[in-house]
Amino acid sequence: MDIISVPTFWTIWLLFHLIVSVGLLGALTHQAVAVMVPVRKMAGPGGFVTRFRAVPAPGYAAAVCVMWVITFILGSYIYIKYRTYIRIPIEQAGYWKTQGFFDFKEHVASIGLVLLPAYWFFWKNAQDPEYDTARKVLTVFLCVACWFLFIVGHVLNNTRGFA
Amino acid sequence: MSTSNTTTTATSAKSSAATSSKVRTFVITFAVVGVLLYCVCLFLNLPTFTYHPAVNRIELGWGPARSGEGPAMYWYGWTATTLIVSTIVGFLATLLPENVGKKIPLILVWLLPIIAIPYLIWDLRQWWFHP
Repeated sequence: MDIISVPTFWTIWLLFHLIVSVGLLGALTHQAVAVMVPVRKMAGPGGFVTRFRAVPAPGYAAAVCVMWVITFILGSYIYIKYRTYIRIPIEQAGYWKTQGFFDFKEHVASIGLVLLPAYWFFWKNAQDPEYDTARKVLTVFLCVACWFLFIVGHVLNNTRGFA
Repeated sequence: MSTSNTTTTATSAKSSAATSSKVRTFVITFAVVGVLLYCVCLFLNLPTFTYHPAVNRIELGWGPARSGEGPAMYWYGWTATTLIVSTIVGFLATLLPENVGKKIPLILVWLLPIIAIPYLIWDLRQWWFHP
């Protein structure tokens, strides 16, 4: 049972959480840029920005849903350790706003979770103009939410990480 | 032949799920009810269960943190309440006639999460204005 130390165990889970969230961040950012400034037609090979937004956005929807759920589950699991070993010292040190940002992060993650089925449906019906606005706004919302979750998680890890 | 039939069936099942009006009603209801319900769960403090991580104990409904048992966690319970009730309401909505399901305004799916953000920030005011 003592193959790895307790901090190492939780750090490994934290890294899994980080790795999947990076994939999610990349997929959502590509998709959001593609939906906000779509490439109408490419006359030539295009630059970096053009190629960045010229991705087949509908193909990302299922992957985004799966990665959001996996990241959510991993985050929920390491939250147990965070609550007892990290949050208490943060409170004792009086970092109230840092604590507030973490609570906000958990709320945003849950709100994102309940939006996933609608997000998936709108992308699966990307040809239907009825869903255009909802699909665009939901995609940008999830992308901004993901960046917020990522940055807050990163800063919190810097405040008092597992390792 | 058998493989080809299976593939065809799976593909058509997938495409019918993605375009079905019942799926449309479910996902829209799930999103609208889910966002609203999560905010209500926070406001009224309605977790399905409370988790006490220091002693690894789950308590049904809301339970206070007890002396010697460490902190109490409600977020799991709020999320569980939201997912369970939204799924039930979403399923019930699919039983309604198709024209009723189509009357749910699509705008709510993206407007409510945007409106929820300022509410969530306000709900955390104890941290922002902590002395």
